Amino acid sequence: MTTSRQILGFSQTFVALAVAAAFSPAHAQEGGDIAQLTEPGSSISLGLGLATGDSKDRARFGMFNGLRKHDVNGLLGFNYLNRDGASGRWLTIEGRNLGLDNRELGFSYRRLGDLKFTADYSEITRHDPRTINTSLQGAGTTTPTVSLLAVPGTGQDLNLELKRKGLGFTFEKRFGDTLQLEVNFKNEDKDGARFFGKGFACSSNWQAVGACSGSSGSAILMLPEPVDSTIRQLDAKLNYSGERLKLSGGYYGSFYTNHNGTLRPTILGGFGNQNGGLQAANANLATTMGLPMALWPDNQAHQLFVAGNYAVTPKTRVNFKYAYAHATQNENFGGMGLTGAPGGRSDLGGVITTTRAQVGFSSHPLDKLHVHGDLSYQEKKNKTPIDLYNVFYFNAPPVTTGSFTNGNQSPKKYDAKLEASYKLPKNFLLHGGLKYESEDFGTFTPTEVAGGVSGLRQKLAETGYRVELRKMMSETLTGAVSYVSSRREGKSRWLRPFGLPATGVLEASADCPSTGSGATINPCVYRTTAIFPFIFENRNRDKVRLLANWTPAERLSLQLFLDNGWDKYRGPTEHGLRTTKSNNVSVDAAYTLSDNWKLTAYASRGRQTVDAGHSTGYDGILQDTATSLGVGVVGTPTGRLRLGGDLVWIGDKLVYQQMADPLASATNANFLMASGGLPDVTYRLTRLNLYGEYAVQKNAYVRLDFIHHRTFFNEWTYNWNGIPFLYSDNTTLNAQQKQSVTFIGASYVYKFQ
Amino acid sequence: MADRTRLNWGWLTGIFSSALLSFAGLAGLSTAYAAGPGPQACVKCHEEQVDYYGKSVHGQKGNLRGPANAGECSTCHGDATEHVKAGGGRGVGGVKNPGSKLMADDDRNATCLGCHAGGSKRTHWDGSTHQTRGTTCTSCHTMHSKDRVLTKLTQPQVCFTCHKQQRVEINRMFRHPILEGKVACSDCHNPHGSIGRALMKRDSVVDTCFQCHAEKRGPFVHSHEPVNEDCSICHNPHGTVADSMLKLRPPFLCHQCHTPHGPVIAQVRGQPGQSANITGKSGVNVTQGRGCLNCHTQIHGTNNPSATHPTPQFFFR
Repeated sequence: MTTSRQILGFSQTFVALAVAAAFSPAHAQEGGDIAQLTEPGSSISLGLGLATGDSKDRARFGMFNGLRKHDVNGLLGFNYLNRDGASGRWLTIEGRNLGLDNRELGFSYRRLGDLKFTADYSEITRHDPRTINTSLQGAGTTTPTVSLLAVPGTGQDLNLELKRKGLGFTFEKRFGDTLQLEVNFKNEDKDGARFFGKGFACSSNWQAVGACSGSSGSAILMLPEPVDSTIRQLDAKLNYSGERLKLSGGYYGSFYTNHNGTLRPTILGGFGNQNGGLQAANANLATTMGLPMALWPDNQAHQLFVAGNYAVTPKTRVNFKYAYAHATQNENFGGMGLTGAPGGRSDLGGVITTTRAQVGFSSHPLDKLHVHGDLSYQEKKNKTPIDLYNVFYFNAPPVTTGSFTNGNQSPKKYDAKLEASYKLPKNFLLHGGLKYESEDFGTFTPTEVAGGVSGLRQKLAETGYRVELRKMMSETLTGAVSYVSSRREGKSRWLRPFGLPATGVLEASADCPSTGSGATINPCVYRTTAIFPFIFENRNRDKVRLLANWTPAERLSLQLFLDNGWDKYRGPTEHGLRTTKSNNVSVDAAYTLSDNWKLTAYASRGRQTVDAGHSTGYDGILQDTATSLGVGVVGTPTGRLRLGGDLVWIGDKLVYQQMADPLASATNANFLMASGGLPDVTYRLTRLNLYGEYAVQKNAYVRLDFIHHRTFFNEWTYNWNGIPFLYSDNTTLNAQQKQSVTFIGASYVYKFQ
Repeated sequence: MADRTRLNWGWLTGIFSSALLSFAGLAGLSTAYAAGPGPQACVKCHEEQVDYYGKSVHGQKGNLRGPANAGECSTCHGDATEHVKAGGGRGVGGVKNPGSKLMADDDRNATCLGCHAGGSKRTHWDGSTHQTRGTTCTSCHTMHSKDRVLTKLTQPQVCFTCHKQQRVEINRMFRHPILEGKVACSDCHNPHGSIGRALMKRDSVVDTCFQCHAEKRGPFVHSHEPVNEDCSICHNPHGTVADSMLKLRPPFLCHQCHTPHGPVIAQVRGQPGQSANITGKSGVNVTQGRGCLNCHTQIHGTNNPSATHPTPQFFFR
């Protein structure tokens, strides 16, 4: 008697309540209930699900699962399998979540070992978890109208939704024993609105006719981005599989089409200020805020590639890939609704080609030794024409004109890796490796401006090594401990970008040459208040990791995972990013109580810390501590009944500690003393998921699901201590700090062959 | 008509095969499978496994490339004649179990790669992070029960067996719809090896993200270079507690590279000690709402060619 016969009719092909199935992380260590899984067949399920509360209570629970909007939902799903073992025909048609707005349909026809055709349709709606209260008219269109809401919180509630509809096809066909054709096509339409906005602060520095005419006045608006776009992808490959040579070559194309060109708000009336009052009338600020915003332009990318591997000898293989991609963006500015382009230029004419080449080897020169290495090269060539896209007025009056262009940097990367593993006595394995990476970001376009950064670098190189000791080939204990270390250094001098209206960058050696360069601090470039982008800074990176699997008894298995990593950044300043640290510990356990009951549990705790200093205001130590606990149980108390459940708890606390540094202004120092700095952010999730399945007859069962989902999210992005962040039209955002949802679902599942 | 079509395919196949085999300098090699007792013998002790095998794609006689047409159970487990004679037992009689840790990793993988080495997804298995760290096919895949890693809804649970940090992150407030089975690990990663960092499915992080976020590809009139370099400089795609899966909240995220509005310190409206006059470039306006992005909205790049103030270079519009 097989297990599957002992449990009448249960099958995971019942998928109507994927909602519940999705929330079962405590079963991570469970190998899968064979009884549940070993019965391919057909089924249809019909049911109803009830969720408590309203859409605001369900804002987090229902962000993706289709259960936010309605209290009562249809739970519909089916799975049809028709197989003919003799001919190898394997036909499946599946439907999941058909009563929800994240429904899926799938069709698959296979002649096993010969041909495969699939068609998939999938929907998903992302419901923004926050509710917007606004007087905005035409939200989600390209021409919204902004008017000042008299009293914050008295406008209309607006919930943003973004729906994706995907349709995909796959065709695979074998030709003889060695050739296979693979074709994939996917079309995804995106429709709806996404959280977005626009803001500007008038400044005495940047003025122009028609823009802010004074140095005061600012506005920040919440303007949803209207989304009506399509992404299409075509992937076609011809694969050859010989005894020693495997080869795959083909084409990958990706096409983005946006049906919206600009977002052009109409501004009626004035703006409010952050204290809830009115700003002085400023018609030019309103004009500036009404200027069109560019939405995403259409773009395309085509890639040709060949990849494969070759068995040079039975113990040595090489693999390789060569790919060439040509990406363009040439949407007409006027067609998008954008004006002011340089004379004679109707589109960007953007062209970027990317060449990638890689070759690697893997060899066992000795029975106990495995060596592998890898070399790769990537070169991007930005062939986009340079033009004077910015001719603007600076310091007016008197008026100074600044002119600068777009940039077209062309970076190159080289990576190399060599690793070896050696089998030691007593089933230990020693693994070691070296790596080298270098990147040349390309010459800075001399007519371009780099805004908001103190320094740039053209070349970086990183060297590193890795050692690991692994205990292997034991049924009861396996484990590995590893240490990874790398050092990144700049291979060119820092470059100082000029401030407007000048363009380009200056080599450090040419900046104030009288003060020297190299090891000598150059105060012109390496001023103490500078912040150098961390991606260009020297970096020491180290990480230790331990993983152990232990089965102390036949019924009990344990897993331990530890890692501790730290990055230290070094730049020619005391500010900017200094260190980041990350440590995680996780313990998992699985225990088989009996043939019919299994328990799983886990506990994880992780902490990430960032230590950074700002240029003149503060030192910040930002710490994110996440704790996660989970327990799960699954059992079959009788032949007709199966029960299961999970309880997951997650606590996430983010501390934003700010401290005035010696350069802090008195205002900032006093503020930090008075306020105590930023409040902590806390996110807690408790999720209980219980289910039961009872076989009412051999080919039918009923299923009950119970989910309790509780969240607490205390943060200050849009609201703090009951005081909302005010947009300039008095739009506010809110979300219930505590949200609690209970979901009960009942379904009837009928199985057939 | 059907016969003629088949003939044409065969003719084409011959040309392609001959050309490629000539290039490889190889011909006429085929995989040999061990002989041994079939499911009829094995089922006496391994009922569950044989039951599922019979219903799976491996067990279909019509699957001309499957074990059912090669050596049945012995295709993967070797000749079990002695094992049967001895009355069974773990490893007795030289029977192989590719799911056992007692078998060398390479041997376990070779069992599967004997049939599954072809195609486009496994060309870079050798030397990949998973291969060199001792991950085997059976670490993730199951042959005698429904393979959870092949279903989007259950696949992440398999990956979380080793990737614990991601198990926590996907439960955070801002995340991809992984729990709902709409996005799976293999949508972004190729666990069988790739030339991309972190086993990216495409050749780089950005190319992988562009699969679903192609609008960010540009190029734009004004680009933000980190967008072209690596999305994960600013985002953690597995989930964070900041909007848009940002690794840190603005302005702290932005201050890692930028120094604008120097005198400004992060703060929220209504805090004690706050200035009565909150101006445009204030600590509140770079902290709350979308933070720095309240004004630098087009942070992924803008295609606005306008030279009219405010200049789009700073991603204002």
